[in-house]
Amino acid sequence: MSTLIVIDQPPYGTWAGREALDMAFSLAAFDQPVSLLFTGAGVNWLRKLQQTSEIEQKSVEKNLSAAPIFGVEALYADADACTRYGLRLEDMVAGVAMSESNSELLHQYTHTAFAG
Amino acid sequence: MAAIQLQNYTLVITGAPYSSQAPQTALSFARAAITAGHTLDRVFLYGDGVHLASALSAPPSDETHWPDEWAGFLKDNAIPGVACIASALRRGVVNEPEQKRYELPASNLLDPFVIAGLGEWVEGTMTSSRVIYFHAGG
Repeated sequence: MSTLIVIDQPPYGTWAGREALDMAFSLAAFDQPVSLLFTGAGVNWLRKLQQTSEIEQKSVEKNLSAAPIFGVEALYADADACTRYGLRLEDMVAGVAMSESNSELLHQYTHTAFAG
Repeated sequence: MAAIQLQNYTLVITGAPYSSQAPQTALSFARAAITAGHTLDRVFLYGDGVHLASALSAPPSDETHWPDEWAGFLKDNAIPGVACIASALRRGVVNEPEQKRYELPASNLLDPFVIAGLGEWVEGTMTSSRVIYFHAGG
């Protein structure tokens, strides 16, 4: 069994993405293969140097940087969404792979789950 | 008529009652699945879905009481209903042990729901033949 968790919600303004990330960490904690796909406004999770003190929230960048440590296998960014949000690979946290075709990526996993 | 392949499902509800239709749609699905002979392994409440497990919902009498409807369905069919502990604590859905642990003034977990970790969902993904998600949408 392998799971792709899809985060299609922005990092701030909704808790859904954070709770989707917890799902990924939980699978990894039980040694289940899991990767993350960021798409739509969700690609903003991957932005480097997020400054969140003004909105009194924890930066999701720190949570996300823990993903490889917890055993999340891969971080994918939807290439079209990155273009739409003006995100280049060098603007993003380390270890992100671009996904040119989400449908092909989804085929590689037996389960998928979306942020709410 | 071709024989249908029977499934055992885990249902995940992430939308709250009265702000989304997720619990209602999930209940319709659950009833249809049981009627057709399928099995529900468990219902897992995550994110805003944990509000379905509040014993303090008091909708107007001419509206459906979704927490009670769900609680009755789970009891009648002996299906475990599990609310994610992290989601529930953030949103003020607590059982007595958590009330004591966090020194809160009340507990409000609706019977027969229990509070447990995301491991219950992980187990569902590993053992159920299908995992179906009911989101708020929008």
